[in-house]
Amino acid sequence: MYQSKWRIFTNHTILILGSLFMIMPVWIAFASSTHTREFIFQNGLQFWPGGHMIENYGAILFDPSATKGRVTALEMLFNSMVLGLGFAIGKVIISMMAAYAIVYFRFKLAVPLFWVIFSTLLLPLEVRIVPSYEVVANLGLLNSYTGLILPLIASATGTFFFRQFYRSVPDELLEAARLDGAGPIRFFIDILVPLSVTMIAAIFIIMFVVGWNQYLWPLLMTTDDQLYTIVIGIKQVYNSLYEGGQIPQFPKAFALTVMATIPPVLVVVIFQRMFIKGLVETEK
Amino acid sequence: MKRVQFEHSAVPYLFVAPQILIISIFFLWPAAQAVYQSFLLEDAFGMSSQFVWFRNFEDVLSSSSWTRSAVFTVVFSVLVAVISITLSLFLAVRADEVIRGAKSYRTMLMWGYAIAPPVAGLLGNMMFNPLMGDLYKAFNSFGFEFNHIQNANDATFVVILIAVWKQVSVNFIFFLSGLQGIPKSVQEAATLDCKSAERRFWTITFPLLAPTTFFLLVINLTYAFFETFGIIDVSTKGSPGGATATLVYKVYVDGFIGADLGGSSAQSVLLMIMVSVLTVFQFRFIERKVHY
Amino acid sequence: MATVTLKQAEKTYPNGYKAIHGIDLAIQDGEFTVLVGPSGCGKSTLLRMIAGLESISDGEISIDDKVVNKVAPADRDIAMVFQNYALYPHMNNYDNMAYGLRNRGYSKADIDSKVREAARILQLEDHLERKPRQLSGGQRQRVAMGRAIVRQPKVFLFDEPLSNLDAKLRVDMRLEIKNLQQRLGVTSVYVTHDQVEAMTLADRLIVMNGGVAEQIGTPIDIYEKPATKFVAGFIGSPAMNFLAGKISGDCKHVTIGEGVRLDLDHDVSADQTVTVGIRPEHLSIAADGQGQINAAVRMVESLGAETLVYLDFGTDANNVTLRLQGTQQFVKGEKLSLTIPADKIHLFDVETGKRI
Repeated sequence: MYQSKWRIFTNHTILILGSLFMIMPVWIAFASSTHTREFIFQNGLQFWPGGHMIENYGAILFDPSATKGRVTALEMLFNSMVLGLGFAIGKVIISMMAAYAIVYFRFKLAVPLFWVIFSTLLLPLEVRIVPSYEVVANLGLLNSYTGLILPLIASATGTFFFRQFYRSVPDELLEAARLDGAGPIRFFIDILVPLSVTMIAAIFIIMFVVGWNQYLWPLLMTTDDQLYTIVIGIKQVYNSLYEGGQIPQFPKAFALTVMATIPPVLVVVIFQRMFIKGLVETEK
Repeated sequence: MKRVQFEHSAVPYLFVAPQILIISIFFLWPAAQAVYQSFLLEDAFGMSSQFVWFRNFEDVLSSSSWTRSAVFTVVFSVLVAVISITLSLFLAVRADEVIRGAKSYRTMLMWGYAIAPPVAGLLGNMMFNPLMGDLYKAFNSFGFEFNHIQNANDATFVVILIAVWKQVSVNFIFFLSGLQGIPKSVQEAATLDCKSAERRFWTITFPLLAPTTFFLLVINLTYAFFETFGIIDVSTKGSPGGATATLVYKVYVDGFIGADLGGSSAQSVLLMIMVSVLTVFQFRFIERKVHY
Repeated sequence: MATVTLKQAEKTYPNGYKAIHGIDLAIQDGEFTVLVGPSGCGKSTLLRMIAGLESISDGEISIDDKVVNKVAPADRDIAMVFQNYALYPHMNNYDNMAYGLRNRGYSKADIDSKVREAARILQLEDHLERKPRQLSGGQRQRVAMGRAIVRQPKVFLFDEPLSNLDAKLRVDMRLEIKNLQQRLGVTSVYVTHDQVEAMTLADRLIVMNGGVAEQIGTPIDIYEKPATKFVAGFIGSPAMNFLAGKISGDCKHVTIGEGVRLDLDHDVSADQTVTVGIRPEHLSIAADGQGQINAAVRMVESLGAETLVYLDFGTDANNVTLRLQGTQQFVKGEKLSLTIPADKIHLFDVETGKRI
């Protein structure tokens, strides 16, 4: 289509400004994380990287004292990974199965069960945070991966993604499979799951990012440092920045922030196409 | 629903069981608990509790701090939704037009989806840090006397800015695919019929994006309601004096830090009712009008 | 090798809609039966009832004298070719054909020989390793047929299998299907809305309308003696001309337009109003200008091998279509005198639409 020179010029200007708006805060955090604490304290935030990157990131990753606790950033990253993967895997499996039952079967409790599942969309965990905490405490699941992950899975977002997708699968495939002698379980394993591979991957990626980024629930759940995720770790480090009358350890806090951001950003950027497809197609 | 379905007695229950089990334990039970507790008054040591009917609700609704938080939540959510939607639509329209560098722009504008709200809050905190924050210095050097630590309006501005920054990517992704979903032939027909690009946008493109916009409005309001918890907790912590505390943040503060279980539960129940009403309203009235 | 018998088969949906109103049908062993009708007439529903994909609300369906009302689709020993092919997109063509056999516990060697044999018949040998999306429409169609053939079922069911193909390919595949069916001699039921497909493929044709079988018979029977006005109008292209008429007092004539009397070849009860039907190809131009009716040319379509002339007849300008062999020239408004042979006139009851 025809575009005037002026239009092309403004388009690029606006997009560059937009990109800078998005990137600048993270860049400044990164640049500032590569200086010494004294330098940042005296000169403020930095735009250009300094020479202390390896030193700061090394300390954060391997020295528990740098994160003001008993765990290193490496351990936190591991916890985040467990949360992200556990959440994504659990979510995908459970919601694929539930959506299959809802879409492909006629059974007595289908409608009430559908509404029970649907109702979870209305009330996110944040709204019922206090009683959820009590329930998990009663079950003795505080400070455990199970207690961390399962309550987060108790929402129907994934189920609805898969429900939408299954409904777009042509009816004739089921009919053909039935004529080919496939029962419900065989149809699910032989046809539906392989057909959903891209969908599974997309939802997996989205859910991994969502899981990794969880904040409020892990914050309440994990009183034990050993279970801190990196997102929670950031808050702990920031809370203790001004303790002890020392010069605040800003660079290391920034380093932790950057490290918390890199894995999900990488996942999103690398699997961009799949991720966008999953996000856009499922939420229609 | 499917035209053809299996008729089988056990299999569907088997498949739906894990989800229902998890929902029952971690959703239905806590939700019921919240309702139950909202009618109870616990003594200061949590030793005994007493059934007090709607007193907790009366207390909550008549407390000035709750009303203030409710007003803030509504203003905050609407502003965040409107600003971030407008900004991302503007960017998406431009990104849809460019040919050179289209992929790079897309990547640079969408990666923000992966940022955790508390990380966004923290970056904002950093930029507005009175000691070293660039934005804090910049605003004050223009003579604004900017002080988000004491001034409620300035603090509100900071939270909104961070929340918008975090949300632009999501909206951008949806608008861009919405735009790319409009058939080229329709765009071309419009170029023949209408010379002004701006007019074309308002008469053709925008109406075709209406379903996307509506969907995003809902998503953004939900986001501003619930997911901004991390932003607030790491940037302003609701200060000054609760001026930037959303209802969700208040539930947390009163329930966990204030240990007022009855009051916090009553707030939860009120939130549940509000959200349910909003959802029903959304499904019944608005959705019909904008879907083609 | 099998027969398919329907006894008062009915289908009522849970919402009360009656899609099929009691159909009786006996399909012979090896017969090619075609269900034809406009969209929504219930032809696909009936096919799916035979397949077991739709339940039967009332009546009976049997395959080889065994009632199959409650038998699962997979156990009816039938194979089906779908309109959109319904190939499994994640499996290659070999696996697509083999899947049904595997589920039935055939041995690996057995499956392999059956699949290769089907691939040979359908000329798909070079495409077995590919996935369906890498094939053209016609090839996909063949894979779908292959999936049906390998099973060596008692009955083939076809649900508009050619409607997604372009015109040229459709003709080729039509011939191929007919050829294959005759070679394998398998009882087949074929659903289509295309009357050319219906006429060319069918040993026996079932014209359906509104969930009712309007007529069952050989294609030629149906063409020559349509049982109802609906069948008469549906089969044949261009469609039959219909004019209002009245039977004379002596039972031997019918009057159309302004007093035009046409001879009849059989007696009809006197003084009733009827619908008179004449096929466009049965009208001819009277060379001497002494035909029974006169009509003015409105429009001409030349197709090369034949010419279609659209005429206005009578004061209320009824449409009459005339089909002539070869190319002929006419001027708009030109008056033509037409001959109508008595034995080509069809009469239908005005109320019921039944043939008189």
